[in-house]
Amino acid sequence: MQAKVLEITNGTLNELKGISDSQALEQLRVRVLGKKGELTSILRGMGQVAPEMRPMVGQWVNEARATIENAIQEAQSAIAKKEKEKRLEKEAIDVTLPVNERSAGSLHPMNMVLEELLDIFTGMGFEAVEGPEVEYDHFNFELMNIPKNHPARDAQDTFYVDDNIVLRTHTSPVQARIMTTRKPPIRIVSFGRVYRADEADATHSPVFHQLEGLVIDENISMGDLKGTLDTFARRLYGDGVTTRFRPSFFPFTEPSAEVDLTCAACRGKGCRICKDTGWIEVLGSGMVNPKVLEMCGIDSKKYSGFAFGMGVERLCNLKYNVPDMRYLYENDIRFLKHFRG
Amino acid sequence: MKAPMKWLNEYTKINMPAEEYAKRMIMTGTAVEGWENTSKFTNVVIGLVKTCEMHPDSDHLHVCTVDVGGEKDLQIVCGAPNVHAGARVFCALEGAVLPGGVTIKHGKIRGVESFGMLCSGPELDIPEGLYPHCGNEGIVLVKEDVAVGTDVRDFLGLGDDVIEYEILANRPDCLSVWGVARESATVLGEHFVMPEISFAENGKGAFSDYAKVIVEDEVNCPRYCARIITNVKIGPSPKWMREYLHGAGVRSINNIVDITNFVMLETGHPMHAFDLSKVREQTIVVRRAHEGEELTTLDGKTHTLTSDMLVIADKEKATGLAGIMGGEESEIVNDTASVLFECAAFERGNNRVTARKLGIRTESSGRFEKGVCAETAMQALDRACMLVEQLGCGEIVPGAFDNYPNPKPERVITASCERIRRRIGVKVDNEKMEDILLSLNIDTELNGDTLTCTVPAYRVDIEGEADLSEEILRLYGYDAIPSTLMSGETMAGKRNEAQSFGAGIKNALVGMGFFEAQTFSFISPKWIEKLGLSEGDARLNPVVIRNPLGEDTSVMRTSLVPSMLNALSLNISRGNPEAKIMEISPVFMPAKNEGDLPEHVPTLIVGMYGENADFFKMKEVVMCLCAVYGLKPFVTAGGDGYFHPGRKANLTLRGGSVKLGQMGEVHPDVAEAFDISGRVYVAEIDIAALKSCAVQIPAVKPLPKFPAVSRDIALVMDESVPAGQVMMAIEKGAGRLLENVKLFDVYRGERLGENKKSLAFSISFRSPDHTLTESEITGAMEKILKNCEKSCGAVIRA
Repeated sequence: MQAKVLEITNGTLNELKGISDSQALEQLRVRVLGKKGELTSILRGMGQVAPEMRPMVGQWVNEARATIENAIQEAQSAIAKKEKEKRLEKEAIDVTLPVNERSAGSLHPMNMVLEELLDIFTGMGFEAVEGPEVEYDHFNFELMNIPKNHPARDAQDTFYVDDNIVLRTHTSPVQARIMTTRKPPIRIVSFGRVYRADEADATHSPVFHQLEGLVIDENISMGDLKGTLDTFARRLYGDGVTTRFRPSFFPFTEPSAEVDLTCAACRGKGCRICKDTGWIEVLGSGMVNPKVLEMCGIDSKKYSGFAFGMGVERLCNLKYNVPDMRYLYENDIRFLKHFRG
Repeated sequence: MKAPMKWLNEYTKINMPAEEYAKRMIMTGTAVEGWENTSKFTNVVIGLVKTCEMHPDSDHLHVCTVDVGGEKDLQIVCGAPNVHAGARVFCALEGAVLPGGVTIKHGKIRGVESFGMLCSGPELDIPEGLYPHCGNEGIVLVKEDVAVGTDVRDFLGLGDDVIEYEILANRPDCLSVWGVARESATVLGEHFVMPEISFAENGKGAFSDYAKVIVEDEVNCPRYCARIITNVKIGPSPKWMREYLHGAGVRSINNIVDITNFVMLETGHPMHAFDLSKVREQTIVVRRAHEGEELTTLDGKTHTLTSDMLVIADKEKATGLAGIMGGEESEIVNDTASVLFECAAFERGNNRVTARKLGIRTESSGRFEKGVCAETAMQALDRACMLVEQLGCGEIVPGAFDNYPNPKPERVITASCERIRRRIGVKVDNEKMEDILLSLNIDTELNGDTLTCTVPAYRVDIEGEADLSEEILRLYGYDAIPSTLMSGETMAGKRNEAQSFGAGIKNALVGMGFFEAQTFSFISPKWIEKLGLSEGDARLNPVVIRNPLGEDTSVMRTSLVPSMLNALSLNISRGNPEAKIMEISPVFMPAKNEGDLPEHVPTLIVGMYGENADFFKMKEVVMCLCAVYGLKPFVTAGGDGYFHPGRKANLTLRGGSVKLGQMGEVHPDVAEAFDISGRVYVAEIDIAALKSCAVQIPAVKPLPKFPAVSRDIALVMDESVPAGQVMMAIEKGAGRLLENVKLFDVYRGERLGENKKSLAFSISFRSPDHTLTESEITGAMEKILKNCEKSCGAVIRA
């Protein structure tokens, strides 16, 4: 009897080796382990086995069944694996076929730079503020210490709506509005569109954007201005970038300074972009003129402050090497797509 | 402003190359734009033509031997008709470089060797004004007995560096040779030495014997100084004066006019010379012009004046524009015998306005606009008289006219050294401050912490402590400013809500593939007209710019649509197959009250065209953008006339009570007006409306525990019934159990009948607290059908 069980077992295991599809495997399983299977029929014929032998035969059969079942299961998973591989192989596609590209759009490059500037200054504790673009002469000029017929008005060729209303020539009127309505300490950056009566050409646009900063508090010094702008320069262009102050004149600041930043392209070594000077002129700045403070109702004996301003388009053109200012306002999609998408 | 180095060195010592000088001036606040050498040639000397024969092979060339002071004479072929033996000439030697970079080499001209070139004025870029003996008719013939071999640059005083300054608006005192020499002396630690001004009043009589001056407008003419010169001998100015004028970029005319220009350049005081015989009744009147009065200025142009313009007149009529330009009538001419010199101060505002209105800009008006110091006017006039004496071109009548009713009081400023240190952030000690101020000719006394400063009259910019602190800092050096951290309370930096909101909209649209545009805020009124708005629409009444660059930029836009259409049009014209662009910008609506600022209405515009653009793509964009803010706008057919009449929609929120905007396909006529031939789509959104309705993200509710049940129905209705209306009817009928309605099919066919359509919806129901029973759903469906029939005439499809 034992020999017969062994013969079934070995026979089945041998047969298993030759099976490669799940259907044949199932047939084998039924033929051996099924209700009428070869192994099952031994148990069925147990009645003819001597009673003392029955437990032993039972054990042989069960052991054989376990062995065969294991083997079948192994074979089954091997076959399933192979079949899945085959299916996946069949499902292969040409991944290089083109698709309809749904590109992402992008912000305007000028606004990308403006956002970067706002991130830097809000990170330094400045509050971002805005104001009207069509503005009273009073805020745009008078409170900035530029009275009517002052020669400084020539530097900012102005669009007039009437005698009292202008298109703002800088974002300084926002500062005036803040100074006349808030009490120090003040720490703001005003930003937005400004207008000058310049014909559009490679380096000019009658519409452009500025960002200006204003700090008013007790004991603010020119050193604090430099410290602030040094930090700004590093955050904008990286470590090693610093500022150079040159004396200048603005009616709303005294002392005034033009501020150069280390040329980011050559790190100060001198290149085409900085015309071999190692410096790029970026900002105008200075200590707020006490006359401006007084006109805005701030006690200039107690408080002092600094202000600075920069043109966003200029920084944008420097950063991305935009060759012509007019590119920024033409909105040719090929230009805009250059900035992603 | 241009100043020749040699002229500056008459009054101070600038003993360094121009480059280093420029750097030192720039770092102390005087912008130097550049420098240029007055000589544009080398190796040209005075030669003496010893023999001059006709060229054997030419009817106009000469073969000359020229003595140039060398070992042997040179043979030079010359084509000029005026060359002759015995002439002194400008001779370019072998190796000479002429203006334009031409190098002289020896060569053969029609077979005769030539070892140089005899030069004309234009060939050396020498203007008539600098050396009067040269014209275009031939080579220069030198009249003076000057040694052969002399370098022509030395002979003409060329070779000097001319510095070009950009003088800032606060330093009108530097618009003069004295001014920049004085500033240079301070910066370089040298002395500034004024010439000693003296002359003999060698004329006869007194001022009043010759002329009378009446100043009627003392506000606009705070000071008027005048002198009389008699026995005038008009002629060319001496070489040194011509050389200085040439360097400064001023044309030499004659000795009297040159003196006035020289004094203006040297002192900063514009002057004017009148031919006294042409001044009727020898009376000068400084007054406002009569309205409509006519005047022909020196440049031959006739102007019609207005009553706010200051003129110099005689008894009869205006003869010059005060401080701007003289009149033709009293011009100095060759037989002028007596001259009235004017040196006045005119108020800068009036001067600026007049010059602007008439479109005239002269060296004189430029200086008056920026401010001319009244105190030093007489000194400048005296300097002119001194030059008359020096040039021997006239006799100075004793006594001057001077009307200066309100001399400015001396400016005395007190300042605290400590406060200055706090302001500039640099630890300059008190004594150093005093030294710096003294070096600026600011009479300074230091007493403890207090500086008491008497400011020279010409420093009109110094008014208070802040100005003194700038003087101290710029001369101490801006490089000394330390980099410090602000003390005081920490402040939280932030963007405001509106800024963050705008950034959010843009980011959402960028994610949907849109590119941000930047268009000008001013447009042409014609572009608004092209939109075909109905009469009375506020957008047809934009804020007008009084002095626009051109019509295309002459009004503030009341709609973003024209700018968007222009941007789309540009892209189409450049053959870009598709574009999706957007912009956020205010539109400017006219103020309700006169004198108020226009209302700035922040607006979003979205535009698209191309293969992937249609009405519904645009609708998707709008719906998706609204979904970002938890909103689902109500969309109804309609909108402005610039849209396609059948493809436009109004967008509203809060049950139609808040107008959000509109969208659609642009009307082909309007598109055509913007040179667009295909279909383009735009949407306009009022940002304030979107922001005010935006829904905060609500608290999280538990996810549903009970299953949803879904039913499909197909309804038949008239073609004219919008799907949106049917969906609303379904929503209303379904009540609170409704979870979602989805349109999944639109069918039209003969079986339905004419002008009928069928819409098929999938409707799902769910209850938060139990599994729905069949009867609940049946009940809801019945209500839906009833409602649809009632409000839309829709019946279930058989």
